[in-house]
Amino acid sequence: MKPLALILAAVFVIIAILYWTGHFIPAGVHLKHGIVSIILALLCLVWYRFQSAETTR
Amino acid sequence: MRACLTHLADFRASGKPSPACEPTGVVTFVQAMLLAVLQGVSELFPVSSLGHTVLLPALLRWNVDEGSESFLAFVVVLHLGTALALIVFYRNDWIAIIRAFIASIVRGRFTDDRDERTAWLLVAGTIPVGILGVLLESSVKKLFASPIPVSLFLFANGFIMLLGEWLRRRQHPEKSTKQYRRLDQLTPRDGVFVGFAQSLALLPGISRSGSAIVAGLLRDLHHEDAARYSFLLATPVILAASLLEFPKLFAPDAHVVLIQAVVGGVLAGVTAYASVAFLTRYFRHNDLSPFAWYCIAAGAVSFILFATKAIA
Repeated sequence: MKPLALILAAVFVIIAILYWTGHFIPAGVHLKHGIVSIILALLCLVWYRFQSAETTR
Repeated sequence: MRACLTHLADFRASGKPSPACEPTGVVTFVQAMLLAVLQGVSELFPVSSLGHTVLLPALLRWNVDEGSESFLAFVVVLHLGTALALIVFYRNDWIAIIRAFIASIVRGRFTDDRDERTAWLLVAGTIPVGILGVLLESSVKKLFASPIPVSLFLFANGFIMLLGEWLRRRQHPEKSTKQYRRLDQLTPRDGVFVGFAQSLALLPGISRSGSAIVAGLLRDLHHEDAARYSFLLATPVILAASLLEFPKLFAPDAHVVLIQAVVGGVLAGVTAYASVAFLTRYFRHNDLSPFAWYCIAAGAVSFILFATKAIA
């Protein structure tokens, strides 16, 4: 599950960038959508952190 | 109003509305103060602030364009005042929750610490409303933010609260306070359930705190804990919503309402603080019924007035 967490985090970061640059959908730049994507990316990193700590122990 | 009446003759003669009668984003000082008190109270009382913000100006026939930059800037400040009041009221809880949250991330492990569990419950409950809010808010507002649908949703809000209380009594007819679950005993799944329930408040007329409290009750919380969870959950949502709209304060027309916005923000904060102080005491021994009956009555009366065009 660790790789999945990292992949999802990367995907959400890319989605955020696409939202902020206005390349995601024709409607243009979406600040709020980008922020939510970044928050989801951070949560995926937290998930990764919890899994890493488990395997270390 | 007087200006509008003087321009009525022009309108009749020309068939075109006078510019003075067109809805404007500028609210008078009295209107601003009324809206501030309304926001501070209705954001936390389970009666839908958004619903009241749509209904009251329509019922009082205020000539206000709620989509204008200056009005939106004014509303941002009111929300900011409300969020700050919630943070101040729960300041000790927030300090403990944030500390426990950071500690658990650093540790990379969950513990049974109450504050840590509350922190993760808040995360679980905020995700649904965050995602659904960003994706659906503007389209839902466009569809339903007019008096007749709002009246119906306000009526439904009252019905939902009565239904929640009835289901709870049916599930636990003779439960003493000691047998209820504590907030930190909820599971993340319960948190997500409450978060989804809170998302119903995207519909103008459905109360955020009301739906979250009902969901908490259905997950076996005492009224007091359900209300506390609802208010803690509301804080990041209201704060984030107001911060995201913050740039509207610097829009070209926004300065028109600067004094109203500042005084209104303070007033909204004070009333929100008083409201949350009252409600946390109220829910120690009382239930949602009075708010439910108020919503049913207000929704029904508003619907009749708007549907029969008694108020155009």
